[in-house]
Amino acid sequence: MLNQIGNYSLYIALLSSILIIIQSPILLNRNNINVSGRIFSLISIQSLMIIISFIALIIAFIISDFSNETVYNNSHTSKPLFYKISGTWGNHEGSLLLWLLVLSIFLLIFTITSKSLSNKYRILTLFFQEIIILGFLLFILFTSNPFMSLFPIPNEGTGLNPLLQDPALAIHPPILYLGYVGTSIIFSSSLAALISGSVNKTWAKHIKNWVLVSWIFLSIGILLGSIWAYYELGWGGFWFWDPVENVSLMPWFCLTALFHTILILEKREMFHSWAVILSITTFSLSMSGTFLVRSGILNSIHTFANDPSRGVFILCFLFILITLSIFIYFFYQNKIKNNFTKTYIVSKETAVLVNNLFMMFFLSVVLIGTVYPIFLEVVNNDKISVGPPFYHKLIVPFLIPFLIFMAIGPNLNWIKDKINKINLQQLLFFILSIIISFIFLKRVGISYLFSLPLFIASIFLFLITIKDFSVKKTNLSQKISHFGFSLFILSVLVNGVLAKEYSSNMKVGDERKFLNKTIKFESLKINESKNYQSLEANFKISDKNNSINLKPEIRVYDQPQTITSEADIESTLYSDNFLVLNILKNDGFYNVRYQIKPFMIWIWISIILISFGGILSIVKRNG
Amino acid sequence: MKIKILVLIIFYLIGSLNLSYAANSEKVDQISKNLRCLICQGQSIYDSQSDFALSMKILIQNKIDEGKNNEQIYDFLKSKYGEWIVYDPEITKNTFLLWLLPLILFVFGAILIIRKVSIK
Repeated sequence: MLNQIGNYSLYIALLSSILIIIQSPILLNRNNINVSGRIFSLISIQSLMIIISFIALIIAFIISDFSNETVYNNSHTSKPLFYKISGTWGNHEGSLLLWLLVLSIFLLIFTITSKSLSNKYRILTLFFQEIIILGFLLFILFTSNPFMSLFPIPNEGTGLNPLLQDPALAIHPPILYLGYVGTSIIFSSSLAALISGSVNKTWAKHIKNWVLVSWIFLSIGILLGSIWAYYELGWGGFWFWDPVENVSLMPWFCLTALFHTILILEKREMFHSWAVILSITTFSLSMSGTFLVRSGILNSIHTFANDPSRGVFILCFLFILITLSIFIYFFYQNKIKNNFTKTYIVSKETAVLVNNLFMMFFLSVVLIGTVYPIFLEVVNNDKISVGPPFYHKLIVPFLIPFLIFMAIGPNLNWIKDKINKINLQQLLFFILSIIISFIFLKRVGISYLFSLPLFIASIFLFLITIKDFSVKKTNLSQKISHFGFSLFILSVLVNGVLAKEYSSNMKVGDERKFLNKTIKFESLKINESKNYQSLEANFKISDKNNSINLKPEIRVYDQPQTITSEADIESTLYSDNFLVLNILKNDGFYNVRYQIKPFMIWIWISIILISFGGILSIVKRNG
Repeated sequence: MKIKILVLIIFYLIGSLNLSYAANSEKVDQISKNLRCLICQGQSIYDSQSDFALSMKILIQNKIDEGKNNEQIYDFLKSKYGEWIVYDPEITKNTFLLWLLPLILFVFGAILIIRKVSIK
């Protein structure tokens, strides 16, 4: 029953999509007709149908309707309700339906909120957006239908990957998708603006909201993924430069660059073409991300659903979209107003260009690092791994000038500023940061090649962004985001330098000394939960003054049978105590890994601050 | 499933008879962080607790005890398992583009900006 509802509503959505695509070129030539007529009702019907199908799938998961193949493959009656619901998008078919849902809802919001803009621009945006929706509908219906029926109906499902049964990971995909899909509107509207010859101030003003919204969701989505990796994957890190992590970071770099460019376009009517190119690139990267994750060509912990034939479809679809956009770009490029004026070297415009240069560099490092091994394997069958050392070696040296530019740039004026703007105050701060870094590194006793300049640059940026709160010229949201970023870099650095780790094999009753602390494995007990059993260990970690108890678990899930390690983390403002336990095959010993991670919580707080700056900016613009 | 836990408990009971393992040395940690666990999905040998990773850690410890330096250990592993095992690809004729391409793009972008900017 639910399967039929889901299927039929998707087919109706497909029909509306085709109707809109056919009708829009006709409407385009009639100038006086408003979009709010027939097309608007078609879009509403389409969104409604996709919402119905999505709800049908959620209900199928809640009531464990195993006549549905997706539910059978990814759920189990013993799962808690919350994970039954989140299981809806914890798999390939459901997550694509979620993509589609967000696509159509975003289009509806776009149609409602763009009434003040020209008809041609709106219809063209709808047209391109509907092509994307059509592509996804076809993809879902013919290669990844979440509403396949099973007969005879099985009594029990096979369960959800226990690693995914986690609150952060339950909301991580929807948030990330809001970011990814938001870029589709930017893509469609930039092509529409290009064709209708309206890449200008008004467009910039309108699209800025969408850039911000996508950027905020993407930032928070990445944050949630990192937090999950930190406490669930059991190695105490939050970023491994894993291909699937990289794939979410690439559109982030691009969006950040685009946002800064859009600001210039809005204020100074410059960099039109560049804004369009960035808009197209951002969406292409989001789509490629979906392709890379879903096709299974990445060797990664995240590829929990893969099937090469699906990859071929997305690859073709992606190819068509990119070719189409490149074609449109070159065909309509001459419509862009070309008021080529050189920018003065010391000005906000140049600062934004420099920001873009670095963003594009970081993007290219991540992009090349991610796809190069794939190409190499195809070309001459050599398998190489590109991991953290590669990214650190290429990114860190460039981070140093980037941070310094970021400290100076935002304080520059539009059009032309005085060269002596790099003034005494900044010089003072710079000297101060040299002294602080020097003392800090001396005390810690670290002397890597890049440590000192990196610390100087990040402390400099940190001081300047704090000082900037007293300057009235720039707006508050920017100050918060930039301060958040400097705090982020600084916390990551301090965390990296001061983190301490101890690993040993222990059994109950064992005691180990580490630094000035004593780690005691006090006890072990078995707990029964609804869908897993757990071995809960109790560790006492004490130094002279105080002691804490950490209770990491080893969970044995039954559906599907998997063993996971749950770290126990005690967070304070100064540092995290992280302890994780792993089963060894031998004799009652457990591998115990204890980490002290200073300022860990500030990494999360700083990313929240960065995103909060964006939220504040939207509220201020529209409220 | 209950049996599995029972076995664990039995292991724990007889565990007291066995010798404890020495903690891995820092050098093993440092080397194994740069190695891919070949049978895992996107994990380093350092992070993994699989049989493969554990035996690799012992192998690395043995090599260190034999007096081999980091380079020699990496080379030994590469000859045995291929380039795939190290996370830090060397610059060879296969990988020079990997390292160079981002830098070329940066220089290219910088030139574009310089042409757009005037000093006056």
